[in-house]
Amino acid sequence: MKKLIAVILGAAMISSMVAGCGGTSESGDSKSNVVKVFNWGEVIGEDVISNFEDQYDAKVIYEVYDSNEMMYTKLQAGDKYDVLVPSDYMIERLKNENALMPLDKSLIPNMENLADEVKGLPYDPDLTYSVPYFYGSVGIVYNKNNVPKELVEEQGWDILKNTDYKGKIFMYDSERDSFMVALKALGYSMNTENEDEIQAAYQWLLELNNTMDPIYVMDEVIDSMIGGVKDMAVVYSGDAAYILSQNEDMAFCEPKQGTNIFCDSMVIPANAENPELAHEFINYILSYDASYDNTYTVGYTSSNKQVRDDISAEGEEYYGNEAYIPRSGYENDEVFHDNPVIRENLSNLWIKVKSSEE
Amino acid sequence: MKSFKSMVYPYIIWSTILIIIPMLMIAGYAFTVKGNSVLTFRFTLDNFKSFFVDSVFINVLKRSLYIAVITTILCILLGYPAAYIIANLAREKNKVMMVLFITFPTWINMLVRTYAWLGILQDNGLINTILQTVGLPALKLIHTDFAVILGMVYNFIPFMILQIYTSLTKMDKSYLEAAQDLGASKLQSFLRITLPLSLPGIISGITLVFLPAVSSFFIPKLLGGGQYVLIGNVIENEFLIAGNWNFGSAISLIMAITIIFFMWLTKKADRDPSGEGGV
Repeated sequence: MKKLIAVILGAAMISSMVAGCGGTSESGDSKSNVVKVFNWGEVIGEDVISNFEDQYDAKVIYEVYDSNEMMYTKLQAGDKYDVLVPSDYMIERLKNENALMPLDKSLIPNMENLADEVKGLPYDPDLTYSVPYFYGSVGIVYNKNNVPKELVEEQGWDILKNTDYKGKIFMYDSERDSFMVALKALGYSMNTENEDEIQAAYQWLLELNNTMDPIYVMDEVIDSMIGGVKDMAVVYSGDAAYILSQNEDMAFCEPKQGTNIFCDSMVIPANAENPELAHEFINYILSYDASYDNTYTVGYTSSNKQVRDDISAEGEEYYGNEAYIPRSGYENDEVFHDNPVIRENLSNLWIKVKSSEE
Repeated sequence: MKSFKSMVYPYIIWSTILIIIPMLMIAGYAFTVKGNSVLTFRFTLDNFKSFFVDSVFINVLKRSLYIAVITTILCILLGYPAAYIIANLAREKNKVMMVLFITFPTWINMLVRTYAWLGILQDNGLINTILQTVGLPALKLIHTDFAVILGMVYNFIPFMILQIYTSLTKMDKSYLEAAQDLGASKLQSFLRITLPLSLPGIISGITLVFLPAVSSFFIPKLLGGGQYVLIGNVIENEFLIAGNWNFGSAISLIMAITIIFFMWLTKKADRDPSGEGGV
């Protein structure tokens, strides 16, 4: 009897092992249908992924991050993805580290839909490695009822240091954005490598920190400004467009001293496991429907010209929304460059600004 | 006996991989800088120098310790009565239920629970909405010391309660009966028997609360705002944003040494009274 049980158990084990092998070889076949996408949090339309899966009979593994640096750290740790959507300066960095795959443009015919504003940007002028997803600028969202429009336009970034609004401002908790604001307010380039200019910007931020009681936040700024918690906030244009669409009292201004124009673009890492499907995915995102769904849901400016123009046309979702289409061709606006030495320096200075007490 | 000894090996291997090697790596990073491509690492004390030279980091460390100490004290003051009441409930079933209620919140992710406080404390959040509908002035709650300490106490108090509760239930009740026979008042028997006997629970509660409180980074970030910088935020920043793993490791090491010092202090405090009480 015991022997019989042993035989049955043995048979069961072997058959399950065989089944297990069958399982793996099967998933090995279907692997070509899996694409791993690593994107910003909250930047995709509701049905975009499921529609792609249906149309291409594919499976999308979708993960999100909330900063370029976090994405970079995960890549460093050895995680593999097929599509990433970093910002301009991070693309530059990845490109310099040979971590990106040149794109096969014949597989991305929808690139012809791209708006002119996202072409020829300095980090990848010929779009050899990257395909723009969203673009935008950084500006000030303010409450029209409490802050006069003329004043914001006249003072630009300096209004953040106007003590009439003490305790009523949000800033981004990010050394990149804060130093951009300070450097621009002082009339310098946001990509400066001049130590004196950086020190001046540091002093500017220290002064702001100690006189204005600013609150440094990240994505909480969206809900807080919709709720009208503060009078002013430094906000990315796409988030601003969403805030403006939810709260009529809010307005948006791209300061006269110039600002940062950024572009989040899709790239394929050099070690991608499924580059073919990654190309399909990128091409699909550029299609009219997917682009429309994305920008409609999120508020960031679509890289698809037709979608961008349609959705901001009269009677549409973003008609009259001053934050939806960022300014272009303004001479003081700049795109961020990656410079590891400056980055570390600014990051340390920023910690000092935040933890200084008046 | 010998066969039991060999059962320790998996644990030793486990802790070597997960505890000792990472610790050595942190120490390794802390004493080096990124060199050129020929020599990848170079020994240095610069990372420590830049920490101690700058009063900013010292102040951040002080504030972190201050917040953690306050949190721990509040956890004891609030947690002890709770644990005492639960341990003295008449029916076993009720005790189990109460312990369940204490642990219940910890089943939900800490980040999510902290986000909930954000909604409650916001300028236009739950509390202020209620105050304003009643006609009272709104309170400044979010982005203050109060919010951060509240968030910490809320998150870490279950650890304190459970530790004290365990030591209270393990206590031999006959000591109390003996004290009563000898005419001690309730307060006397509490101070001279219950409290000293539950001290080990308090001590391990302190460890479990103080350690996460001193290194917490997302509670201050969410409830204090980005300008509320504690040492955990500095470390996070060095690793994730600045990409300076060497300096981040140096700060972690300084933190570890500070914590070991504090633990040594509490251990010392633990030994004295128990030695005196002879238990």
